[in-house]
Amino acid sequence: MSIKVRTVERKGRTFLEQLYLVEVIKGMTVTLGHFFRNLLDNSRLYVRHYPEVKPEITARWRGRHRLTRHEDGSVKCVACFMCQTNCPSNCIMIEAGERFDGKSEKMPTRFDIDLLECIYCGYCVEACPMDAIRMDTGIYSVTSYSRESMVLGLEDLLETPGAFAEEEYKKGGG
Amino acid sequence: MAELVKLFVNGQEVEVESGKNLIDALRVVGIEIPHFCYHPALGADGNCRMCLVGIEDGRPPLVPACKTPVQEGMKVLLDAEHIKKIQRDVLEFELINHPVDCPVCDQAGECALQDYYMNYSLDDSRMQVAQVTKGKRMDFGCGVVHDQERCVLCGRCVRFTRQITKTGELGIVNRTDAARVSIFPGKPLNNRYALNIVDICPVGAMTSSDFRFRQRVWFLKKDPGICHGCSKGCAIYIDHHREKYKDDVIYRYRARTNLNVNGYFICDDGRLSYAGENENRQTSALADGAVIGFDEGIELVRERLDRARKPLMLISPDCSLEQMWAVQRIATLYGAELSGYSDNYIIDGDGDEYLINDDKAANRRGLELLEIDFSRAQFLTGLQHTDLLVNFNNDLFFGGVDEELKSLLDKTQSIAVCSHQLQVYESASIVLPTASYSEYGGTIINEDNVLQRFEKALFKNEDPKDVLEITRLLGGAINDAPHAWPGIKQSVACLADIDPQAIPAEGIKLQNSEDTNVGA
Amino acid sequence: MSALDILLVILRIAFGAFVPLSFVAVLVWMERRGAAFFQDRAGPNRCNVLGFRAGGLIQNAADGIKLAFKEDIVPGHVKHKFYFILAPMLVFITALLCFAVIPFADVLILGDKHYIMQAIPMDIGILWFLAVVGFGVYGIILAGWSSHNKYGVLGGLRAAAQVISYEIPMGLALVSLLAVYGTVNLTEMAQFQGRLLFGFIPMWGFVLQPLGVIIFIVAAFAETNRTPFDLAEGESEIVAGYHVEYSSMKFALFFMGEYVAMFVSSALIVTLYFGSYQIPWFTTETLVTYARPVVIAIMIGLPVIGYFFAEWMKRNNRSHYYRENDPRQKETAVYVALLWSLVAILEVVLLVYLVFAHGGVADRILVALLQIGTFLFKTFLMCFVYVWVRWTLPRFRYDQLQKIGWEKLLPLALLNIFITSAIIVSFG
Ligand code: SF4
Ligand code: SF4
Ligand code: SF4
Ligand code: SF4
Ligand code: FES
Repeated sequence: MSIKVRTVERKGRTFLEQLYLVEVIKGMTVTLGHFFRNLLDNSRLYVRHYPEVKPEITARWRGRHRLTRHEDGSVKCVACFMCQTNCPSNCIMIEAGERFDGKSEKMPTRFDIDLLECIYCGYCVEACPMDAIRMDTGIYSVTSYSRESMVLGLEDLLETPGAFAEEEYKKGGG
Repeated sequence: MAELVKLFVNGQEVEVESGKNLIDALRVVGIEIPHFCYHPALGADGNCRMCLVGIEDGRPPLVPACKTPVQEGMKVLLDAEHIKKIQRDVLEFELINHPVDCPVCDQAGECALQDYYMNYSLDDSRMQVAQVTKGKRMDFGCGVVHDQERCVLCGRCVRFTRQITKTGELGIVNRTDAARVSIFPGKPLNNRYALNIVDICPVGAMTSSDFRFRQRVWFLKKDPGICHGCSKGCAIYIDHHREKYKDDVIYRYRARTNLNVNGYFICDDGRLSYAGENENRQTSALADGAVIGFDEGIELVRERLDRARKPLMLISPDCSLEQMWAVQRIATLYGAELSGYSDNYIIDGDGDEYLINDDKAANRRGLELLEIDFSRAQFLTGLQHTDLLVNFNNDLFFGGVDEELKSLLDKTQSIAVCSHQLQVYESASIVLPTASYSEYGGTIINEDNVLQRFEKALFKNEDPKDVLEITRLLGGAINDAPHAWPGIKQSVACLADIDPQAIPAEGIKLQNSEDTNVGA
Repeated sequence: MSALDILLVILRIAFGAFVPLSFVAVLVWMERRGAAFFQDRAGPNRCNVLGFRAGGLIQNAADGIKLAFKEDIVPGHVKHKFYFILAPMLVFITALLCFAVIPFADVLILGDKHYIMQAIPMDIGILWFLAVVGFGVYGIILAGWSSHNKYGVLGGLRAAAQVISYEIPMGLALVSLLAVYGTVNLTEMAQFQGRLLFGFIPMWGFVLQPLGVIIFIVAAFAETNRTPFDLAEGESEIVAGYHVEYSSMKFALFFMGEYVAMFVSSALIVTLYFGSYQIPWFTTETLVTYARPVVIAIMIGLPVIGYFFAEWMKRNNRSHYYRENDPRQKETAVYVALLWSLVAILEVVLLVYLVFAHGGVADRILVALLQIGTFLFKTFLMCFVYVWVRWTLPRFRYDQLQKIGWEKLLPLALLNIFITSAIIVSFG
């Protein structure tokens, strides 16, 4: 395989540019233009007035996790540990137990996600063979006063409903 | 060393030992032949056909590797197209009615079917009809749980109960896709080696109710160790794991192959003895029942030992050779009498012909070699006259409370250096926690004179100090196991030629040590 | 010494001490909101007292309170606690002392007495500034060294090397300026700039020394450790440089020191090159003579300015999203009312002056106040340039920084001296 050589054009070699001062003044004109535009009318700032104005969340957004249920309300998760295995920040902690509802042999007896360690990468969702874990709660602001309360348990995760319609999620998540 | 023969694999010349079948012989040189039903301990059955290999110009051109001994000049084909097709076809056949519920299958990660599928097949299923359903989660007794759907009918489990334990509880009933492994009605597994079935089953059809769902196997760290359950000293794997925010704990033991000692199997008691390493541990130093710092405890012990007129030290027969040697040294240092009394470790009639021994002490041969007296008489006299007993992890009430000893112990001031909270240590005024055998490394000698070495497997959050380290803190000169060896070699003639760093995994069989011992 | 003498001494010292300090608050605010507007953001505007945000100024108060009440930590590994604590004080005090020699109005003549309008009336002027400002860098080096921290030491060393490199061009730029003005006394320099060149161009320093002003400003930026020369802090590579181990009020002293230094060097640039307190074409005497028309002009101008300011506030100080009974509009209403009352009070004061007090001493004081206002306004603009540059230019690399200092500025400054002296010698 031959090595591809791409010559990058060097900028900033002319005398005027080397003088620097001219370029400085050019740059400063640009920023000053922004300054006065914003000073005279600050309604045109490129900002969202969060938290009063909330961002719109799409179905693809990776928000806080939740665990899903079957139609009949039973837990979909079969405690296969795939999410835990794939989690790059090692923040999912599962304990498994026997299951007798005929859906599977195995179910989680403990399912903790330490949201302080989570990096919201979504690998857990990708890894799950059961579509049991999703990040479609639309919750993007996860805050708390204590470390302990940032560890979500099985109940917390099952409690939160999804924020999107099923078709929308399927379409978005692809 | 057996004779060598030359043969060709995929056109490449290799040299292997004669007298073995292709699977075993080629495994030694790093060539894997997929197989289900063959197991070196159970012999070739030839029923799974997974191991079919081609023989160039051979008659027949296609042979099961498990039943074919190596021959000079043989031309084995492994990666020819038709062999690959056979492997894919066999796998497809196995998977016809297989549930493929790997996510909830305990075997996933160490499953032959899974591995072979990933390595040799990766085909999609072509099945249109519903799968045959069979029994799941069937309790076979002895902690063995069977899943008939996952079974590939290799018959290893059946042959195990027939050939190894000779109890024959299992059989394969019915034919074709209705065939399944089963126990006889009302006659569950009933032998002391039953859990080996879980190990030898190549797939997840046999699971252990003890380990079931506790952990995924790929998280486990698998360190070699030696079972301290009896004086056989079976080779094991210590599978342990530190869960997030928790401590390093053992999840299971598995048999490790050591043809010098235990062959391919271990007994169920030994297998389940891992629980003892996790539970009921002495974790803090105590003085008269109150928790104190470890260093403080050491200071106290030193003080008492210095003051004692006639100290007596008692060592556990489970201790490693190095630890025994170190304790022997500090006993001399403090002018203490040393005993290895442990008659209570012997449970008469418990042993059998196979692996289990009456003597539950892992290193009694070590006591003998170091000439540590373990007679009851010496210990009793010592106990009557001593003013301070230092007990190094010897569970005097192992087989049951010994009333005579108990009344004497209650009268004697004693110090316990112990790994577990046991009744025998309750009368001790100072208690120091110490490491158990999964938390230190050393050498032990089993009843058949096989010297085996094991390494530290567990690293606890608060790593307990092992007996050797404690003797050092009490004034001994040895700081780790290798340092004890020059001394050991000097005093034990039959160990003089042993290089502790070079003890092979299968151990060293010591030669007629009895005679040398007497001679020395 | 009369009572008037003492009063004026106190007034001048108070001015010298408190104006830089109150400017710190304004500058920090200007830096934050300025930065935001340069970058199309909003800047701090949430902090409020009873809904009054004062355009973000409350944030400064909150910061101040936070810093004052934070635990004052001296890290355990610091060996020389004395120097560690001394360093921020040094930085702050030297910055403040520099301002003492800068004149903020023309010599005030009350009756037959002349009062030089500097905090410390001294003749050595610019030399004092050079001496004290050079001392300030010791604070930084000391901080870096006594922090006993790699980043700290690196920051300190960088600052030291940088100050040495840039004091030379700065001093040389001043040499030619001194040759032009023929004095080191800053008040005299300021008076010099009241004259006109060819009868119509104000003789400000930058007109006479076009090259010198560039060299001096660049060097002044480097001297104050401001972007693009803030390598001593260099947060991307050495975290925070010399003040990495500092917290609470000690950190605040560094922080305030930086802004005081910026204010002082702006004031100096204005004094040396931009006519100091001079209003172009209006010398002190002209102003005193035409005091009444000037006041009348101001009285007309004030409501006009007030009107535009009020309109601007109404347009910008409201919530830019739907909100029922927008509280920010109510806030604006209060500000507008305050503004108009302020204008009204000023008008009344000026009216009183016009009717009862014009002539003589009152005129002189009025002119002095006007000049102080002019001086502060110019300084404010110069500070804005500091902010503006900071949010426009990226930081130099260290080798570039040294190259500019030694290979560009130094020869240029020498050339400048050469040209200047040639002109002075030939045209006299
Ligand atoms: S989102 Fe990523 S980091 Fe968070 S739990 Fe899932 S896999 Fe782990
Ligand atoms: S959430 Fe999904 S991946 Fe995680 S354990 Fe449950 S089933 Fe497995
Ligand atoms: S036996 Fe193997 S292939 Fe079958 S479910 Fe278990 S892990 Fe998967
Ligand atoms: S249970 Fe396991 S060992 Fe027994 S026949 Fe089935 S696959 Fe083979
Ligand atoms: S291993 Fe040879 S046929 Fe099964």
